Amino acid sequence: MELILTNHSSYPRIGDTPEYQLLRRTIAQWEKGGKTEANRGAAEDRLTELALTEQIEAGLDLVTDGQIRWYDPISHLAGKLSGVRVNGLLRLFDTNFYFRQPVVRGPIGWSEPLLVSDFLFAKARSFRPVKAVLTGPYTLARLSIPENGQTGGLELLLEGYTAALAQEVGALADAGATIIQVDEPSLLKHPQDFVLFARSVAALAARKGQARLALSVYFGDVAPLYERLQSLPADILGFDFIYSPQLVELIAAQGSNKTLALGLVDGRNTRLEDPRVVAGQLEKITRKLEPHPVYLSPSCGLEYLPRDRAQLKLRHLTTIKNTFAGSRQ
Amino acid sequence: MSREKLRQLGIDLPVFPTTSVGSFPKPDYLVKARADFSRQKISRNDLEARERQATEFWIRKQEELGVDVLVDGEMYRGDMVAYFAEHLAGFEEGGLVRSYGNRYYHKPIITGEVRWQGPITRDWWKYAQSLTTKPVKGMLTGPYTVMDWSFNELYPSRREACLALAHEIRREVEALIEAGAKIVQIDEPAVSVRVEELPLAIEAMQVVTAGLPAYFITHVCYGAFEAIYPDMLRFPVDNFDLEMCNSGLDLLELFRKHAFTKDISFGVVDVHSHVVESESLIEQRLRQALEVLPRDIIWVDPDCGLKTRSVEEAIGKMKALGDVVKKLRN
Repeated sequence: MELILTNHSSYPRIGDTPEYQLLRRTIAQWEKGGKTEANRGAAEDRLTELALTEQIEAGLDLVTDGQIRWYDPISHLAGKLSGVRVNGLLRLFDTNFYFRQPVVRGPIGWSEPLLVSDFLFAKARSFRPVKAVLTGPYTLARLSIPENGQTGGLELLLEGYTAALAQEVGALADAGATIIQVDEPSLLKHPQDFVLFARSVAALAARKGQARLALSVYFGDVAPLYERLQSLPADILGFDFIYSPQLVELIAAQGSNKTLALGLVDGRNTRLEDPRVVAGQLEKITRKLEPHPVYLSPSCGLEYLPRDRAQLKLRHLTTIKNTFAGSRQ
Repeated sequence: MSREKLRQLGIDLPVFPTTSVGSFPKPDYLVKARADFSRQKISRNDLEARERQATEFWIRKQEELGVDVLVDGEMYRGDMVAYFAEHLAGFEEGGLVRSYGNRYYHKPIITGEVRWQGPITRDWWKYAQSLTTKPVKGMLTGPYTVMDWSFNELYPSRREACLALAHEIRREVEALIEAGAKIVQIDEPAVSVRVEELPLAIEAMQVVTAGLPAYFITHVCYGAFEAIYPDMLRFPVDNFDLEMCNSGLDLLELFRKHAFTKDISFGVVDVHSHVVESESLIEQRLRQALEVLPRDIIWVDPDCGLKTRSVEEAIGKMKALGDVVKKLRN
């Protein structure tokens, strides 16, 4: 059975040595007028290259650009769409990380690709395949507010974001992305919206072309929605096992129609998992999955960890893979 | 307002007491001194002299602005969790992680049993209080937030880590009270995000404050208040210091539905904006507050700590809110 090691999405854009402080310093100087947009872009390029190198050195089979250029997972996309402005800071779920809340003031419009150039930059600098990652329309809609009490609520916002991001999915597929991951953590907080959510996923899937669409849900318990998620037109389902204590047993019992991305390694805590424990979980989960390949990844983006610990977590995936392979011989 | 409790503690405050959440920006000379110290170019004594100079600057400035309940400005702290982690046994300093935008902090790692080793903030409080006759708040970070904003490599559960911290932080509160602090603020900005853990946060605060003779404030910000209100009113504190204006005062709608039963330190200026709010805007926010909250329970302050603003912006915001309060008192 093939076990594919991958990063989830983000990667630290800072570290404790001067080389890794380049982007922070450049942005601080740019804010004061001491650096240009080009300087900032060059610093983002450099930190992206470092993120790619470290993922590859850690032994990953599939990497990301680390979302180094992102201000946050919400406003980075929403703020580039017409009809949306960004507002004050809000905490991102239960992290100690803050995003700027989008305010929707008119019809949401997509006029040009948001992530394609970043994807192509990463692809050109990685000899491992690069996964494109975007925050999904449902999560953007849930974390946005309409301006001045516009009517229509969530459904209208979701419709607007879905139409916009479906074009982005199409653009990424046209640019050669073979796996496009859509992050939808908000779904787990609002399972009652599943029907609306499913419609949105279907609209994205319709634009994926030859790419495989991966849907990732995290920061909540997946188990109550597990069966329904299997019905979605996504090719890969990614789960956060840290928040889902029953999920290993559930998958062991029910199997999966889809390829799974298993977030068995905690992307939010520095403690390294006992590889024998994770290998045991993999053993249980994969019993009913073969011959599907399985992705093994952190439970969420690694930006919540210090750089040295993020590196360790990624290398730990290889240790777990080897332990798992050893246990099956 | 818990006027009676304050009076028993010997504190008499005017209507709409003004205060700030805790941190002020560090003057340039202190920023440079901290950088020099980290490069081992100056001694700890040299750094501390600058920290004392900056503390005195902010005490004088708050007096000049007519602030009623002062803070030391946290000139000696980098981050609100890392600072305590550096002084409690059981922590290691973690590497940098992002807070928002281009802001980063060192997130601590619990690697051993946490233990209070002696007063952490007491001497700073004593120094700040020695510079003024107005009350200075003792300022701590609460156990739930220290737990939530640290990595945990030791304790089997979040609950165990949180309660272990609560017992140790109580010792710091006792040290502050023994030194003379009458108002102690125990910040818990993390409690507003995991609804299911609110009872744990309340239990931990109970461990910290139970039976101690002080007026307790807790600061909570940037979270899903709609999910924890009104249950959060069970916190064993006298005053909630809340970020109000960043979210367009939408918490007032919650207070309409269920009466706010504590005193409130009501945030009227945005700490993430470079713009100093106009007096008319601040007045409008306070008048909106008065539509829902009794006049007697309202304290007035910024949404959160002002440390990310420039010195001039922070002074401008404090002056603006103070000027509005003076006008409303008359």
